[in-house]
Amino acid sequence: MKKLTYLFLLIAALFISCEKDGIEGPNLNDLFGELNIIENFMIVGDSASFTSGSAYFTAKFSKIVDWKISITGLSSGAEKIIIGKSNEINATNSLWRGEVSLLPFFKEENCSVLLTFPMHSDTISDSFVINGAKNYGNGSELVVSDFENGFNPNFTNFFQSTCLKKIETGDAGQSDRFLVQEGTCDWDWLIGYVDYPANHWLQQGTLNANPDNVYFNMMIKGDSTLSPTNEANSLFKLEFYEDENQDGYYDQNTEDRLEVEFDVNWNGWKMYSVKYSDLILAWNSGGNAIREPNKILKFRTLLLANPASGFAKADVDYIVWSEGSPILNQ
Amino acid sequence: MTKFIKNLIFFLILTPLLSSGQVAQKVWYDGNSRAMFYRDALSGDLKDIDTTSTRSEGEGYTAIDLGMHFTPNNQIEIFSEIRIKNDFGYMWGSGAYVDLRRLSVKGILNDRISFNLGDMFLKQTVFTLNNFDQELSKYEPSVFQAYRDLIEYENFYFDDYWRMQGLQSNFSYTFYNAINSVEADFFASRVRGVEWLGEPELLMLGGTSLIKLENSLSVAINHVNSFEVQSSSLDTATYYNPVTNVQLEYVKKINDLNYKASLDLGGSTRGWQEKNGTTIYEASGSFLKGVLKATNKRIMTSVGFSYVDPDFRSAGAQSRRVNYISAPSSYAYYTNNTLLRPISMMDITTDPNVYNNRLSTSLMHYNTLYTAVSPYGEATPNRVGPSFSFEYKNKDNSVLVSTEAAYYKELIGQGTTEKRALFSSGLMLTAHLEKLSPLKNKTVFEASVSNENVERGGSDLEAISFNSMMLSAGLSYELFKNLKIIGGLKSFAGKGNEVGSQRDEYDQVVGYELLDFDSKEDILMLGLQYNFTNDIYFSLQTNKIDIDDKTSEISQLSLSRIYFMFNMNL
Repeated sequence: MKKLTYLFLLIAALFISCEKDGIEGPNLNDLFGELNIIENFMIVGDSASFTSGSAYFTAKFSKIVDWKISITGLSSGAEKIIIGKSNEINATNSLWRGEVSLLPFFKEENCSVLLTFPMHSDTISDSFVINGAKNYGNGSELVVSDFENGFNPNFTNFFQSTCLKKIETGDAGQSDRFLVQEGTCDWDWLIGYVDYPANHWLQQGTLNANPDNVYFNMMIKGDSTLSPTNEANSLFKLEFYEDENQDGYYDQNTEDRLEVEFDVNWNGWKMYSVKYSDLILAWNSGGNAIREPNKILKFRTLLLANPASGFAKADVDYIVWSEGSPILNQ
Repeated sequence: MTKFIKNLIFFLILTPLLSSGQVAQKVWYDGNSRAMFYRDALSGDLKDIDTTSTRSEGEGYTAIDLGMHFTPNNQIEIFSEIRIKNDFGYMWGSGAYVDLRRLSVKGILNDRISFNLGDMFLKQTVFTLNNFDQELSKYEPSVFQAYRDLIEYENFYFDDYWRMQGLQSNFSYTFYNAINSVEADFFASRVRGVEWLGEPELLMLGGTSLIKLENSLSVAINHVNSFEVQSSSLDTATYYNPVTNVQLEYVKKINDLNYKASLDLGGSTRGWQEKNGTTIYEASGSFLKGVLKATNKRIMTSVGFSYVDPDFRSAGAQSRRVNYISAPSSYAYYTNNTLLRPISMMDITTDPNVYNNRLSTSLMHYNTLYTAVSPYGEATPNRVGPSFSFEYKNKDNSVLVSTEAAYYKELIGQGTTEKRALFSSGLMLTAHLEKLSPLKNKTVFEASVSNENVERGGSDLEAISFNSMMLSAGLSYELFKNLKIIGGLKSFAGKGNEVGSQRDEYDQVVGYELLDFDSKEDILMLGLQYNFTNDIYFSLQTNKIDIDDKTSEISQLSLSRIYFMFNMNL
């Protein structure tokens, strides 16, 4: 019996000593503790040139917390937002290569930097200088037009008599100039269209033949106009014409037309990107039904609106083909 | 000759009747009966402040549970219990209804294997299948018997068995070698049936195998597996929870003390599996418990220790009796904002409708104020520590003293590396004063105190200091044979801070609730009780109930209650 008692005491001591490391559930301090800045918010790489360089931010907090860094271009109005949840901001979670979250693109400009915490009232501000704006693309991109040199007269177009297209300077999505498209047409859905023939694109080249690898990107500036039924007033349509037999002409009976349309239901600049393989074959398309971006003859952008709904507007800037991913991801 | 023929005819007619009378085929009846009535009246400050609640409310009913036993032969018994209940205040049958309360078939196959079909009461070990007592009921004076009987009877709480439906079978064999006997028990039960567009069917299978060896050693293997049936629901994931408990027991008599050493060890796995076989979430945990007990005619003492892993989960052993997600019967809504009144000590002590009758697949909610140390009984996860208990009764059983204490540490801290230290203790005294004093009439005095304490160090945010104490007392004095005047008190106070945990659907801690307590609750009781027998009695009593939560201006309630119960259990 004595041996048994010793055995019991031994086992008890063994188990009492087997407490576990770590914690169960989220850290109490992270949920209810006060937020203290242990290491000040710093910018590493100020005055950077994003043509090749990068910057990041550093700070340390007393607890794991949701944080948000907002960088706003004081000239362009571009905005980059970096968010995270940690007790430390460092190169791993705040690296910035000059890309943008909310268009337009950053320029060479001064920026304001704001560190905020969604669950706390603390705010820390700083400033940042961009000495060289980021160049988007991975080297395989083809720029169709950025309208910096005006409107290419080879881009055939039609706009209703009560509507217009024009080049405007200032508040562009990229650089300085962009194409304005707007008007009211109470007898037709079409406000206007522009054709962009491949042989007149700003940069010449052949697109990758793999439709899963080719992205069409276009900056579109919407306005907040809504129709009387409270729907987005402007409808945008893209049509891509393939020259399958490479004879320099598009024949709808023997060749494909691909398209996509969407509401312009936002305000300000936004990059619209679509993968070529996601485009829909037009109902009357007569080709081989194979998406062949390397055989594009031209594409057409159409601005449409319900005749009953009044004014419509969708400005355009920086039209570019990219390879591998949407242009803003490069 | 004529007489002979008459006798022969008489014999030939009666013989089959007599022989059929030899078969033990009979129907017999038993039953229980209850008449209960209570009326609560608001008192105290709330009576003036609360202008939306009624000044008083109450209800009552008469119920008869008629048990019918039909034994077609010596091996089979069919049992059904039908409840006929009539709520007070209704006429022409509108408040009356008839329910089937229990139905079962029992029998023995070939005089070797017994079986039970239908309603059955199941229990294994404290880690596999066990219906542990509700909080605030430890050392409850017997003068509160009327309430306790009501709660246990209405909720089918017989000892620590769970009432379930299904099939149970057991058999035993006796040997004359190193193995003295082997006993086996198996069951299959349906815990939850099919719900239209709801949760899947929940089944529980289990078994116990007990081997007694000739050297006073016995080994038992207990296993239960509760699981949801994938094909019975549109849910994409179903639950499974096998638990195994191996028990070793050794008994020996040394001098005049009987020693018993027991060791429980085992583990559980609980998870959810998708239709394609992918496991969404799975956790395993183990446990170990050892007890060394010594008893003789006058004393019983035991020391033990237990270890329960933070991930140990057992639906059969961790399902709680009190369901805090329920509305109390008395003044369910109160204050001028018509708030749902939280479950209090009064409800736990007196209201059968706040109790749970079904196993839960996840850890049920509990109130830290009332049960901070072992909210899930002995199978409470994340605990390690020793325990001690001692009982003494004097020569003529006129004095019984019982005490116990347990100290646990958390194995892993919740939300911090600091771990809680949890301590519970209790002391109870029962004295039959007529044996100890010149009193001639039967007089029983009971008093007890229970305490719970939780401490955790660390920063202001992490630190916990909580203490609760329950004082109970009861006195019954026999005015004349079988008629007693009874008085009792239950007084609970809890003060301090705690951190409640919020869990997701897989019982993982995902958040916390910072809790502050400063609460006091009292139930005072005075009445008369007439006992026809121990289980047949009527009780007429008046209660004064006070609930005062100082951390909240609205959590105050004072009631005066008149309560009558006639109880008959056969």
